[in-house]
Amino acid sequence: MTGWHLDDDALRRYVERTDSLAEGASVEQHLLSCEQCRGRVNPAVDVIDLAAVWGRTRDTVEVPRPSVFERLLRAAGLPAHDARLVAVASAFRGGWLVSVVAVLGFAALAAAVGHARGMWLFLAVAPIVPCLVVASSYDPWLDPALEPELVTPYPMLRLILLRTIAVLALALPAVLLFGLVVHGEAPFAWLLPAVGFVAVVLAASTWVSPLRAAIAVSTVWLAVVWLLAARSGSPDAVLQARAQAGFLALAAASFGIFLVRRRWLHQLRPWR
Amino acid sequence: MDCRPGDEMLLAAVAERDMGAFRTLYERHAGWLAIRLARRCNDRDLVADAIQDTFVAVWQRPQGFRGDGDIAAWLWGIAIRRLVSRLRARSSVAAVFEKAEAAPAAEDQVLLSVDYGDVGQALARLSPEMRAVIQAVVLDGLSAREAAQLLRVPVSSVKTRLYRAKAHLRAALAEGPS
Repeated sequence: MTGWHLDDDALRRYVERTDSLAEGASVEQHLLSCEQCRGRVNPAVDVIDLAAVWGRTRDTVEVPRPSVFERLLRAAGLPAHDARLVAVASAFRGGWLVSVVAVLGFAALAAAVGHARGMWLFLAVAPIVPCLVVASSYDPWLDPALEPELVTPYPMLRLILLRTIAVLALALPAVLLFGLVVHGEAPFAWLLPAVGFVAVVLAASTWVSPLRAAIAVSTVWLAVVWLLAARSGSPDAVLQARAQAGFLALAAASFGIFLVRRRWLHQLRPWR
Repeated sequence: MDCRPGDEMLLAAVAERDMGAFRTLYERHAGWLAIRLARRCNDRDLVADAIQDTFVAVWQRPQGFRGDGDIAAWLWGIAIRRLVSRLRARSSVAAVFEKAEAAPAAEDQVLLSVDYGDVGQALARLSPEMRAVIQAVVLDGLSAREAAQLLRVPVSSVKTRLYRAKAHLRAALAEGPS
């Protein structure tokens, strides 16, 4: 460090921007290497509110960095607080997703081998996976993080729908992918049942906990598939247009019930 | 000279997530960075955003400083690029690079020519557009592309202006003061 320092006039001209380019450049070059002169500039700063900017900076770095999924949601245009509420759901933790993919993978593999029983297995598993994941995404028992959110006056309906859509956006493509691997007559046959079951779980969660509803729906579906498999030995029954129309009607009716009864969603608060 | 911790020590502490050191670093550098940025962009909100981005980046990647040169120079490199990317994001805001040129008083002109000699005079005779390019590329060390984003002109214009400005300066300095 040299003993040379900026004189007060030069410093003043620099801060007030009444200097020439050459002088300004020379001042800037000196400032880069002279801590003392930088210290003399700082008190004169009036271009921005340094204290306010410090507050914002500290707030930004103190917030933990959002997860990849949360940043994805924000990039998709969801407001920051919505993205946070959706992303904290336990269903979006890595382990859950991996197990879902694994289950589907095994079922698809079994079906892809071409065995009729494998096809049945896939038809049994694929439609219930989305509703199980949806249920676990807002079940208060599985998601302790939900508790403070339920006491805050955040619209429950909005939260559940946001999470449901996010789950479906994740789970449906996964199931779809495995469905394409399966060389069945109709790889999309499970799609309408899946949507129907999600709607049933939503509607049922105005009475019981979402997870119980999802387990009940899954049990019934597994029993039905089992019975059909035992009787006809071919998965055609589920693929018929009549059955598909039935699932569509189920989805519509359940969603209607869910909307009508949404005031009872507060029963999700277990401590009430 | 004094026993205050140097910037390198502060940066090392920031890497250990020391908020106090981070604050000291901010207090030492945010001011002059803001003034220098404000000389390149008249929108003060943008300058404030760029300062915030700069220190958030420092917090997230303090190891970006490789130990060569001054930390101040490293911070400036981050700050000017953050300003450029803020400008890019806000395409509607017209950033005014150079203030409306108030003609310096005659005695100031004389002082300048005494203090800075031929180079100062030669620079002062350049058009504001050329000076802006010289400042961005030669003095601030931006790439032609970054300078183009800062000045809101095509990259090709930056290159031509830089070429012409250098030619002007060369000619002016070869001639000597007129």
